[in-house]
Amino acid sequence: MIQYLVRRLLWAIPVLLAIMVVTFFLARAIPGGPFDFAGEKQLPESIRKNLERKYGLDLPMYVQLGRWIWDSFRFDFGPSYASRSQTVNDILKRTFPISFQLGVLALLFALCVGVPLGTIAAVKQNSIVDYGATFMAILGVSMPTMVTGPLLMWVFALILGWLPAARWGTDYTQLYLGFFPNILSGKFWLHAILPAITLGLAYSASIARLTRASLLQVIREDYIKTAYAKGLPARRTIILHGLRNSLIPVATVLGPMFAGIVTGSLVVEQIFGIAGMGKYFVISITNRDYPMIMGSVLVYSVLLVAANMLVDVSYAWLDPRIRYD
Amino acid sequence: MRLSRFAAVLLVGLLAWPVLGQVILNRNLGTEPPSADPAISTDTTSIEIIEHMFLGLVDLDENTMAPVPELATRWEVSEDGLTWTYYMRNDVIWVKYDPQQGKVVPDLDANGQRRSVTAYDVEYGVKRTIDPNTASDYAYVLYIIKGAYEANTADPTSPDFPALMDAVGVKALDAFTVQFTLEAPAGYFGQIASMWVARPQPKWAIDAHGDAWIEPENIVTNGSYAMKSWIHNDSMVFVRNPYLPDELWGGGNIDEVHCVMVVEASTEFAMYLNNELDTAGVPLPEMDRVKADPVLSKELTIRPYPCTYYYGFITTKKPTDDVRVRKALSMAIDRQTLIDQVTKGNQLPANTFAGGTIFGNAALDPRIAPWALPENLGGWGYDKAVTEAQNLMKDAGYPDGEGLEIVLMHNVSEGHARIAQAIQAMWASAFPKAKFTIETQEWRVYLQTISKETPIENMPNVYRLGWCQDYPDENNWVHEVFNPTYGNNDPRMSPDDPQVGQYVAEFDRLTYEAGRLSDPDQRAAMYFEAERLLVDEIVAIAPIYYYTQIYVAKPWLTRRNHDTPHWDTWTIDAELKAQG
Repeated sequence: MIQYLVRRLLWAIPVLLAIMVVTFFLARAIPGGPFDFAGEKQLPESIRKNLERKYGLDLPMYVQLGRWIWDSFRFDFGPSYASRSQTVNDILKRTFPISFQLGVLALLFALCVGVPLGTIAAVKQNSIVDYGATFMAILGVSMPTMVTGPLLMWVFALILGWLPAARWGTDYTQLYLGFFPNILSGKFWLHAILPAITLGLAYSASIARLTRASLLQVIREDYIKTAYAKGLPARRTIILHGLRNSLIPVATVLGPMFAGIVTGSLVVEQIFGIAGMGKYFVISITNRDYPMIMGSVLVYSVLLVAANMLVDVSYAWLDPRIRYD
Repeated sequence: MRLSRFAAVLLVGLLAWPVLGQVILNRNLGTEPPSADPAISTDTTSIEIIEHMFLGLVDLDENTMAPVPELATRWEVSEDGLTWTYYMRNDVIWVKYDPQQGKVVPDLDANGQRRSVTAYDVEYGVKRTIDPNTASDYAYVLYIIKGAYEANTADPTSPDFPALMDAVGVKALDAFTVQFTLEAPAGYFGQIASMWVARPQPKWAIDAHGDAWIEPENIVTNGSYAMKSWIHNDSMVFVRNPYLPDELWGGGNIDEVHCVMVVEASTEFAMYLNNELDTAGVPLPEMDRVKADPVLSKELTIRPYPCTYYYGFITTKKPTDDVRVRKALSMAIDRQTLIDQVTKGNQLPANTFAGGTIFGNAALDPRIAPWALPENLGGWGYDKAVTEAQNLMKDAGYPDGEGLEIVLMHNVSEGHARIAQAIQAMWASAFPKAKFTIETQEWRVYLQTISKETPIENMPNVYRLGWCQDYPDENNWVHEVFNPTYGNNDPRMSPDDPQVGQYVAEFDRLTYEAGRLSDPDQRAAMYFEAERLLVDEIVAIAPIYYYTQIYVAKPWLTRRNHDTPHWDTWTIDAELKAQG
């Protein structure tokens, strides 16, 4: 197992290097440079030259690429072109914890709703409960967050007045270890409910569908019949023997899903006015903010590689027959 | 009174006291300000916060746009218009917010003395904007200052660079007198002196912290409010500067301004309805409801705003290389209907490029392009305009638009798409046999496409843009945007044009020379003619509407209107606000 992990870790290095090189050239391949315009105003040639000199864009491509890779290994992602008083490190350090908190809550919500819903639907296959759950799942998948977000806000903040309309309940200067919110604070939870549910709903639906499909397959297996035959109660059979095995496909999608969800969702962050990372992912591209594009893609890639590794490890726990030696 | 009850009242009173004592404004900035550095900011959000943190030599009167005293109490212009001398007040100091003491304190120098805002700070600020190492986007606005262009375009590593910087025409004559020497007598320099790029900047803070000097722990300011916190992309808090001289305070009563940065217009509006904001913009889909609502309609303000929405014509691409086609297309836009049905913000139909508060503008003067104006504004009205447009199109060889193919391009946006579709429909009904195609591109790609470097076959015939002022003078409009030699000139106007070449040459001359004169009447007359040539003779653009600023404000908030908000002029009735 350890050997396997070390091998995977070593493999991650060329993978990340390749991603960095490709991102570097892709970002520069988009037409239009970062300093061609200020708002709608085209900047004079002389001004653009000053800016390009300041940020080293007048250097040959291979020098820029070399510097970027070297600096990245020292965890220095450079200045942000769009917000000149901050570095990309500042921005990531600030926004990633917020997106992570929101993402983890949303993912927990998605799992807590999705797995039971899928299980019930599978157990009561083709009953009214199944159809109801499937209907909910399809609704959840097809309703975009830009509809559910304002809808939830309208009902729970404006009409009922139970929850604040927008914004995150804690700021990055007050995080424990620079990362964790004060979970004893009521304000944090009040602000977290709506965005976490909005983001989680969409994911819960796909988790439910996956759980249902996979569980349906598993409960037809011989060993489940054996479990029933030797007189195990249904609940114990399904949860202990059936569900655990049927979670392998769920765990597989959970890896990339985790990487995606904790690096932020532009739509949910924008609707609820949350200062997360999702916005920078998109805005950096419209701004042609090269260091920000490359920095956020790198963070996402590292998370993706790490999450996939965790998933592989979890296989061994979910199904002891899987071994990596 | 029983003791426990007394204690309870005391406790509640103590808890509420700090809240009641402070008048707080809750405002949405709408986006994270890209900067708070006067030398490099270009956008309205950054400029709004800079306006409150940094005083200018002069401010602009909100109605006449004439310079009024701020740091400078008076100023002199030499006979030849080349030398501008500003005499500054000596009682303004640099301050910062001290989180330990929880209040705004004077910034002290190494000897423990308060630092005054001096002419040296102005000289440093202007030179820092011009310095190519600062790489300011707006350094070019200061090119009218002698030697500024040479210094800004020099290679900062070359040996003669320090001499070039020294030669820049800004000099502190003594601690409170600063003198500018210009390249040419520019009547609009008073407005330039009010701009953020020409404001005093704190050298010691910038030397110590570099680009991060505007972060809340480093920043030193001198304006009506000081920055208490800046949680990027989330919120900012500003605290009133108690050391500001009374004459410079705008007369408002707001102690703290709590800004959030909510991008989504519908969320901002929901927060306003929920009393989480005191003032907010109105999302377009909500306009009809707000206007009809008995409460909200009273809270609504619509006021002119110095920006213009326009369509430009590429004058070198068939068939818009024919002035008759361009004019017919411009005439066939029913501006009033577009405003009533699509944009809905009580905008005014535009018949010129620059709008109502800009020096030298001729907005709504029916001597220019009367066909763009409805009858109640002294224009032709749409029926007459569209008949004339059809005649012109027939003269140009496209009866009913037969054989005419026009590509209209705009950047991806719901609002621009609605306007483009409405105009496409107007054109299609005026010229039923023509083919009008709408194309869209992502913002930066779009800007690249319509720039002068793009080969003509990749260009559309018609492009969309808007323009907002940097300073309220026609020089910032017709000259900087359209001058064929010095400006952007996206329509690619050329004096060699067989139909309108002589007008283009005349437009070039007028806009260039008017920027180098000091006599206001003479300048205004030249700009009038330039606007007429641009819109009515060359028809390089079809101005569509002058912007309005649309906002709702709670009954307890009184906003005085400036194009850049001045929070120090706003008042809040705290009792009314507490009642919600």
